[in-house]
Amino acid sequence: MNSLTDRYLAATLPSVPSARREEIAVELRGSIEDMIEDRTGNGQDPGTAEREVLTELGNPERLAARYADRRLQLIGPTYYLVWLRLLRLLLSFVPAIVGTVDAVSSAATGEVGVGGAIGSGIGTAIEVAVHIAFWLTLTFAILERTTPVQGLGDWNVDQLPRVPVDREMSLASTATAVAWLLFGIAYLPLQHFQSWIESDSGANIPIIDPALWSSWLPVLLAVLVGSVVFEIVKYRVGRWTWPLIGVNVALHLAFAVPVAWLILSDRLLSPEFVQRFEWLREGDNLGTVANVTAVVLAVVVIWDVLDSVRAIRRRHA
Amino acid sequence: MVSDDILRTHLQELRRGTVVVASLVALRRPDYGYALLQRLAKHGFAVDANTLYPLLRRLEEQGLLTSEWNTEESRPRKFYRTSDEGESILRQLLDDLAAIQISVTGLTEGMDR
Repeated sequence: MNSLTDRYLAATLPSVPSARREEIAVELRGSIEDMIEDRTGNGQDPGTAEREVLTELGNPERLAARYADRRLQLIGPTYYLVWLRLLRLLLSFVPAIVGTVDAVSSAATGEVGVGGAIGSGIGTAIEVAVHIAFWLTLTFAILERTTPVQGLGDWNVDQLPRVPVDREMSLASTATAVAWLLFGIAYLPLQHFQSWIESDSGANIPIIDPALWSSWLPVLLAVLVGSVVFEIVKYRVGRWTWPLIGVNVALHLAFAVPVAWLILSDRLLSPEFVQRFEWLREGDNLGTVANVTAVVLAVVVIWDVLDSVRAIRRRHA
Repeated sequence: MVSDDILRTHLQELRRGTVVVASLVALRRPDYGYALLQRLAKHGFAVDANTLYPLLRRLEEQGLLTSEWNTEESRPRKFYRTSDEGESILRQLLDDLAAIQISVTGLTEGMDR
């Protein structure tokens, strides 16, 4: 016998509590037959009646879950907020840190180029993020199913996050940042005429390749000027916002990427400057200096961006 | 204009608890699943079968209903009846239902003034 009712019962029973499965089976079959009989008694065709009754009872798994008083959710309201908070907290810094460490160490071993190192770092960060999300969710899904509601610690007013009354941007830090930027803006042209490094004949040697004046140096100067404007705007706003962070990242990249690329392709420093210092010419010392500079640039940029993101996180934590 | 969906959700919420009260009242006279469903429907409690059958089991596990198999008829049927414990719970639920009605009335009349 393989009627629709048989199939319906077979689909319902496996997930019903086993202790009373037999009893539930007999009762449910009886109820279904009662319902069908009632309809055929009113002149309905038995096949149609059976279909209608089973449709009314609905998805057998849902019915079984009601019998078992089982929760039809992965993570319910008891744990959802804790899960979300933990997930956000972990994702906000762990993947970035592990990714950065990975990128720096693969750049340091020198087996891959800087591009490859950054790619490897991003890949690792994504992998770590997926792992965190999966294992955390799995843990909570198991908690949801095994532990009867246990004390998570009731919420109390002391947990309210402090609303920042102090400005995140102090005048001192803004002034320092602007001063450094102005120094950088002044130094770029200055080193061309007066670097205090002289050739044997006493002529001034520029540190940065003069060829760049017709290509990248104006761009870098513009980025530095832009950064001064940005610092002032940031101070006026008084706190980190997502748009500010976006502009900050763009400015950082606009400066760090060309510089890293130029130094890695041996185009940043002027040939005379390299000639003047024997140590730079020895072995691969120039390459090492380039690599270290690029990594330091990357770390500084990532650190600064993370710092600003943390400021926002603190506010919303 | 509030959508029908919103109204339906609120009505469902309002009715949810009353199914237990209605079942406990109705089962002062023993009955089996489908017959109870029809009786409740006749008295204006339109309960879904897939809600009522598991509910009866749960009330039985909580000791508010007792059950007995009747094998005299064409097919075996499980008859439920409100237990003494169920009766005492039911009284408190009915009191509360009445209290809600009084509160709502009081509030409505208070608003008119």
